Amino acid sequence: MTAAPPKDSDLAVELVGITKRFGAFTANRDVSLAVRRGEIHALIGENGAGKTTLMNCLFGMIVPDEGQIRVDGRAATILSPQDAIRLGLGMVHQHFKLVPSLTVAENIFLGMEPTRGGLIDRAAQSARVRDLSRRTGLTVDPDRPVRELSVGIEQRVEILKVLARGARTVILDEPTAVLTPQESRDLFRTLRGFTEAGMSVILITHHLDEVMAASDRVTVLRDGAAIGTEVTAETTEGRLAQMMVGRPVTFGRKARAATGGATVLSLRNVDAHDDRGLQALHDVSFAVRAGEIVAIAGVDGNGQTELAEVISGLRRLSHGQITLSGRDVSGAPADQVRAAGLAHVPADRLVRGVDTRETISANILMGRQHQAPWARGGIIRWGIVREAAKGLIGRFDIRTQGPDAPVKSLSGGNMQKVVLAREFSQEKPFLLVDQPTRGVDIGAMEGIHDEVMRQRAAGVAVLLISVQLDECLRLADRLLVMFNGRIQAEMDPETATLDEIGLQMMGGRTSERAAE
Amino acid sequence: MTDATAAVPAARKVPAWAEGPISVVFALVVSILGGALIILMVGENPVNVFGTLLRGAFGTPERVAGSLLQATPIITCGVAACIALRAGLFNIGVEGQLYVGAFAAAWIGFGFQLPPVLHAVVGLAAGMVAGALWISIPAIMRARYNANEVVSTILMNYVAVLLTSYLTIVVFKRPGGWSETEPVAATAHLMRLIDGSRVNIGLLIGLVAAVGLHLFLTRSSAGYSVSAMGSNPKFAEYGGVRVKRNIVLVLLASGAVGGLAGGVETLGVHHRFMEGFAPGFGFDGVIAALLANGHPLGVVVVALFFGALRAGSLLMEVETSARREIITVIPAFLILCVSAQFLFRRRGGVSGERRWRF
Amino acid sequence: MEILSTIFTVSLVAATLRTTTPILLVALGGSFTTKAGIFNIGLEGQMLVAAFFAVLGSLWSGSAWVGLLCGIGAAVTMAMIFSLLVVTLRATEGGRGRPPNSRPGGRTIALTTASFGVRGSIGNPGIVGLPRLQVPFIHGTRPWGQMLSGYTPLIYAAIVLVFVVWAIQYRTRLGLYIRVTGEKPEAAESLGIRTTRMQHIASVLCGVFAGLAGSHLSLGYITMFAENMSAGRGFMAVAVLIFSNGDPFKVFFGCLLFGFADAVALRLQTVGMSSYLVLMVPYLVSLLALFALSWRQRDKVYRTMRRTLTASPRGT
Repeated sequence: MTAAPPKDSDLAVELVGITKRFGAFTANRDVSLAVRRGEIHALIGENGAGKTTLMNCLFGMIVPDEGQIRVDGRAATILSPQDAIRLGLGMVHQHFKLVPSLTVAENIFLGMEPTRGGLIDRAAQSARVRDLSRRTGLTVDPDRPVRELSVGIEQRVEILKVLARGARTVILDEPTAVLTPQESRDLFRTLRGFTEAGMSVILITHHLDEVMAASDRVTVLRDGAAIGTEVTAETTEGRLAQMMVGRPVTFGRKARAATGGATVLSLRNVDAHDDRGLQALHDVSFAVRAGEIVAIAGVDGNGQTELAEVISGLRRLSHGQITLSGRDVSGAPADQVRAAGLAHVPADRLVRGVDTRETISANILMGRQHQAPWARGGIIRWGIVREAAKGLIGRFDIRTQGPDAPVKSLSGGNMQKVVLAREFSQEKPFLLVDQPTRGVDIGAMEGIHDEVMRQRAAGVAVLLISVQLDECLRLADRLLVMFNGRIQAEMDPETATLDEIGLQMMGGRTSERAAE
Repeated sequence: MTDATAAVPAARKVPAWAEGPISVVFALVVSILGGALIILMVGENPVNVFGTLLRGAFGTPERVAGSLLQATPIITCGVAACIALRAGLFNIGVEGQLYVGAFAAAWIGFGFQLPPVLHAVVGLAAGMVAGALWISIPAIMRARYNANEVVSTILMNYVAVLLTSYLTIVVFKRPGGWSETEPVAATAHLMRLIDGSRVNIGLLIGLVAAVGLHLFLTRSSAGYSVSAMGSNPKFAEYGGVRVKRNIVLVLLASGAVGGLAGGVETLGVHHRFMEGFAPGFGFDGVIAALLANGHPLGVVVVALFFGALRAGSLLMEVETSARREIITVIPAFLILCVSAQFLFRRRGGVSGERRWRF
Repeated sequence: MEILSTIFTVSLVAATLRTTTPILLVALGGSFTTKAGIFNIGLEGQMLVAAFFAVLGSLWSGSAWVGLLCGIGAAVTMAMIFSLLVVTLRATEGGRGRPPNSRPGGRTIALTTASFGVRGSIGNPGIVGLPRLQVPFIHGTRPWGQMLSGYTPLIYAAIVLVFVVWAIQYRTRLGLYIRVTGEKPEAAESLGIRTTRMQHIASVLCGVFAGLAGSHLSLGYITMFAENMSAGRGFMAVAVLIFSNGDPFKVFFGCLLFGFADAVALRLQTVGMSSYLVLMVPYLVSLLALFALSWRQRDKVYRTMRRTLTASPRGT
């Protein structure tokens, strides 16, 4: 099954026994990876499996706690990205590191500008970019500011930036996340050209179809450990999927009793814009009924953030209507949406979810500081708040010294529990949970899922937004797939296969559109 | 550079509540030493100078009263700055609000005839309204368009000083060309607390404002919203706090208290508006609020200290060759020391915070 | 008409140049920190300290040039303290949910506010002012001579420096790195450009310019030091920087506007306008400019805030 062990001299990059811990959390556990010269090596795994951490170790963004890195057969010490670049490594980050106001040429040569008489030699710079373009077939206009470029061209500039620094091994972190299918195909053709010229490519992704289409070999990571390396031509998507999630893919759906209540939340033809003023939501319509969990699945950045913000009153919608518990809350501020019946677990707990400098009690209070019994006559009854906080600490198993401990003293998982405790105890008819298990360990995840199910059983309408597909499949009664700001498809989590869902998450090559 | 190496765990020996005061006392000691050094440099005996300073501030009951008199406007101005600070905003325009408030109160005082207590109350209210109006445009521009309130409130200070001078010297010109308005009617005077001193109930007003603000922030629902906004605006917004509206309200309140401080000065101390009557009370208040880290009761302590410095330096100037200006370096030293402590006491990383942030 | 012709004279041009110079110099310095992504509230303080030490230096040494150097040294020292607070303390000061550097922290505000506490004045016949430069050929010939000749060297320098600053920022590596630091720090860090170092360098450069500006105040036309003699020019410069985004030529025209407002205001006094009202003009112009810009940029500001917010937790 696995190919014959290659000679050392064939290896461009080798990672041996890499371990990286962040506090009590182990992001990489004894991971080994060998990349041959002239191959496209895919690195796959779920969100949080440790792919990016591993590559950050290789590229010197972080230093591993244990393990060894060998480049071109020699042991290498990589303490900074500069060390990595010197060794012929190059990384194209998922979030481009381009400076919008600078030209293409300035971006490509940033940090290594040709100078003449102390001034930057812009003509030579542009000429070199043109030369590089000619050699690689990646055409760009060297004198155009980057801010005028499309995402696909920006990525091309990132690749040129890496090549200009003499990279022989190129790492791409989820390069297709921002590309159209056409651009993705062009990218893979370019990468193939590189390997034919003797370079190596490491492709980080969680899209199995890309792995099958573009890679020579593939290494699967799960929960920070390397599960195995396969030759792409000799494996199947099903097998890789099983390696990725660690079990056959029809994993434990939560048992449930059928419920069917009145519609609690409904969106009709909602449009919204993102911070850059681009349309992020297109004509989104769906409804959530009492006692039902509707999950929004999709690759990160397809409009989920904007959707959550629009529903919770944190972002204005540009068109359409949102109704919550029979009240029109389109464009209403957050406090009115909450009053109408929203409880909300936000995606980024440190930005929105908690005030780390305050105590657990004070965090539990947020959102109901004007309501009885928490407050009376405009005065907060801290005694009642503390008692409630104590109760919630017990119920949600928050590991802490007590209700007066500052939230910043808690671990990430326990901070998340503070958020959940606050929002789940609101007893509101509608619950919006956005990435509820991001960054929490498997044990805590189980507890959170049980709690969401209990809310469902209590007749709460739940909207779950998650980039973890297994989480969606496990909890959802109905599954909506989001792509490019649209509801791409509605699927039945009981019957839908991972392949079908994955297909829709990628924009679906079928022409069917979501039915209401 | 990397956070991983910077996160040196802090050895914690003192209880958390004591950290603030201890660091301030430490900073105080260093600043006094720094002041002593400067005094040495100008050829005076520091012990002698500081001794005179102390006597000037606390030597006799009258001098203690003098210190309290100087501290009064600083307390109120400090409370004004505190209100904004706790909501994550900077009102550096307290000085300007003090001026317009003082003028408005004086105008009520000399331009109208009202029954005794009511006259004073209306005067103070006018001061508050003037202070609030003075900050209203920066407040609205900050809330709606995120116009930097630091710069706008500072610039408003210069305008306030010039405007009140103009009103005093041109519009309400007194025969004889004095740089002050007519005296305020006796009905508008604030009650004096100590015989033979100009200390008045303005001191009590300042103390009540400080305690009131403390209770508001710690006990009330609205205060909770305001301090959450200052601590993490995104969190407050998410929790349903109307951040933009609160920015306006908080800055208006801050401006009103600044105006109140001015009203107290004219109705309680000078009984008229004088051009340039308040040498930096507003700025001292801002510094007091910052040094107290936005704690209203801490502001009172710092303001009393500043008041004593001001009062003491008057005697110091009379009895020694050291000039009063020397004393202004002590607050500057204080700021530097407190800042330096922050340099050396970098907080360790919040556990687990970075876990999923790659 | 008569009033207008009294106001708009050749000497108005001269007055505009004179009043523009200090604010232009200090704003040019601030353009470095603005480009490096530091909101520099410390300009006023640096300028004031420079003015003070320039007078002291001139008094002690009897040379205006030594005074100038003392002024620059003092301003640079202040600038270093400032950058220590802003750059090095950033991690501890910026509250969560607040983009680093886009708002000043409490400590820097405190330090700035403390500069209002500077009291006293130095006036002494022993203070040597900067010489007036007399441009050959046109000096003494009216009206060109009056308009172009007879200023202190710093006035000519200020105008030349506009181009120099532009060249540094747009044609040298240092300038490029400073701009990248302000615009996209994670891009700079990923290529081995030390953003903190760039910010410190920008602060020190800013100090040099603030030093020139302050020295011009106290050794230029008036040879004395008075409390608050910078009269908010540093804060006006901050307003200019906010709406010019630190671009040297925009800074130049912004400052020219202020200088002109200042000069017109002074002229208005001579035709009987109350000096108090007239002196308000530059401040009101700054405020108007600040508000107008905020209004125009309302979406952009929000967007930048958001971008910084989402970008800052990643990468170190």
